[in-house]
Amino acid sequence: MDPQLQPLMDVLQQVKGYIYPNEIELQWGLLVVVYPYVTGLVAGAFILASLERVFNVREVQPTYRLSLLTALAFLIVAPLPLLAHLGHPGRAFEIFLTPNLNSAMAMFGFIYAWYLMVVLLLEIWFDYRKDLIQWAAGETGLRRFLHRALTLGATDLSERSLSFDRGAGKLITLIGIPSAFLLHGYVGFIFGSVKANPWWSSVLIPIVFLFSAIVSGIALILLLFLFSSLVRGKDVDMACADKLASFLLYALIVDFSLEMLDFIHRLYEAEESIKILSQMISSRLFLSLVVLQVLVGTVLPMLSLFLVSPAFRSRGLLAAPAELRRLVYFSAAVLIQIGIFSTRWNVVIGGQLFSKSLRGLTVYKMELLGIEGFFMSALLLLLPFLILYLLVVLLPPWPDREARVADG
Amino acid sequence: MRQQISRLSIVFGVLLLALVLARHFLIPKSFGKIGHYRAAAVDAIAARKIKYAGHQACASCHEEIVKLHDDRRHRNVACEVCHGPAAAHVEAPTEIRLPAPKQRGYCPLCHGYDPSRPTGFPQIDPVSHNPLKPCITCHNPHAPETPHTPEECSACHGEIARTKAVSHHALLPCTGCHETQKQHKITPQLSRPSKPASRAFCGQCHGVDASSPKEIPRVDLATHGERYVCWQCHYPHFPELK
Repeated sequence: MDPQLQPLMDVLQQVKGYIYPNEIELQWGLLVVVYPYVTGLVAGAFILASLERVFNVREVQPTYRLSLLTALAFLIVAPLPLLAHLGHPGRAFEIFLTPNLNSAMAMFGFIYAWYLMVVLLLEIWFDYRKDLIQWAAGETGLRRFLHRALTLGATDLSERSLSFDRGAGKLITLIGIPSAFLLHGYVGFIFGSVKANPWWSSVLIPIVFLFSAIVSGIALILLLFLFSSLVRGKDVDMACADKLASFLLYALIVDFSLEMLDFIHRLYEAEESIKILSQMISSRLFLSLVVLQVLVGTVLPMLSLFLVSPAFRSRGLLAAPAELRRLVYFSAAVLIQIGIFSTRWNVVIGGQLFSKSLRGLTVYKMELLGIEGFFMSALLLLLPFLILYLLVVLLPPWPDREARVADG
Repeated sequence: MRQQISRLSIVFGVLLLALVLARHFLIPKSFGKIGHYRAAAVDAIAARKIKYAGHQACASCHEEIVKLHDDRRHRNVACEVCHGPAAAHVEAPTEIRLPAPKQRGYCPLCHGYDPSRPTGFPQIDPVSHNPLKPCITCHNPHAPETPHTPEECSACHGEIARTKAVSHHALLPCTGCHETQKQHKITPQLSRPSKPASRAFCGQCHGVDASSPKEIPRVDLATHGERYVCWQCHYPHFPELK
């Protein structure tokens, strides 16, 4: 047999029931799973940052700048999975030149550009401007040049000017919250509006996406906050960690309730697709949905946070020492990341595993190498951390560093 | 104006200017005249060499075949679907001849069995349906027969029929062992023929007391095979030699 046909033959043996020929091979693979996962982290990290700015949650202040830089690092990587998946990256800019108002996908370029240019970069710039000027004054060489260039020459440090920075930052955050909702709600909108696909077509999908984004974003910042404290040899600010864990629990409860609402609604509505969907959940998606998404990624962290974090009282249900709380928070945040990644997997891959005849299931065979493969996706998931490292070196987000230079 | 606003205005002004310039130089002139695409693309496509001649062109020379074809069930299958693009042939009828698909692989593209095809659409299993014979030996593609329900079991179960034909059971009719409803020929999946359900059935010929010719192998049903039905061990379409 032609060796090129071998992968198809392998898949064909696992196809169950009736399926149309064009449904055997999945068109959207791992890269399209990575994309909503990454944009979710962007939106979630930004919404966390806005808590401090708009809602004056003092405890999470130490993570404010870290959240902004994390959102930026992930936002830079967000379109790369799509570019890699579509190919022809040289044509990507054309969606800006000839905007097509009838296509949600085509308008994403503008949502992305708006969010990057008007929200994130501006907010970071206004927030860092004072520090950039002061850092540049005490530095030499490349760092001095970069910091000075980043001020764009706006070096006025008068009180009026600084209060303008604060006001502008607050205004941008206010615009930023609906923008972050738009950024990730849009991703859910794309899936939710595929009316031919009963697994995707639901008005709840954008909202479920949004809340899972907030969950994953807070969990990521919690991880980075704990990790960075460890690396810098500083004591973890437990008031901040406790508050983050509490918010994580609130968001997780809302997210889980919405997902269950969607699930129960589907069951009660029992449309003609319900049989094949329940077959899919109990066979092809059992591990990734029931085990990873619901049990390991949601219920387990929710219970552990509920027991340990001071979300509903001044202390957790179990009076755990700080060290144990840190360990629980860290493990819960890791499990949540696994759970949210599984959520994206179940939406993207799950939506393509059943036939439009509603009478058969196919399988997804992941590549290892190649542009759609495992290693490419792993690279795209690691790249934001590299970018974040560079950003942190260039623009240290730590409150103590800000104070020290300001005093000096 | 605040210093911050003026500096940011410069940055955004430069970006905006870059966008305007890019739009000016990079968008094709004819973009958007008709729809959300380059209008000149229509002329570019129209200028490409025409490869298909169309039904009318065939009729002007092959009048009889086209007339026959147009009256029968393949009337909606255009000549060039099977014979390929004919524009070159129309220009030079004798130099450029069109192929006719005579090999077996072609007709099953439409008529090979596929569960997603509509009910009643004529379909065969290319492996078991008269293997090795080109389709056109029995079927005239210009005037295909109206599909009818198969008369013989072998129309669908050719492989079994051919196996049985060279076995000791060659003379037994299929319906001798399989009770078959009429409906099976119309909706084969929904009305399935029966299989012998008891050992006594085979025993009618192969039992010790059976009144069949004595050359037929005998077994003592009381001691042979325990609780199994015969066809669980013996393949009745090609029973082993004695």
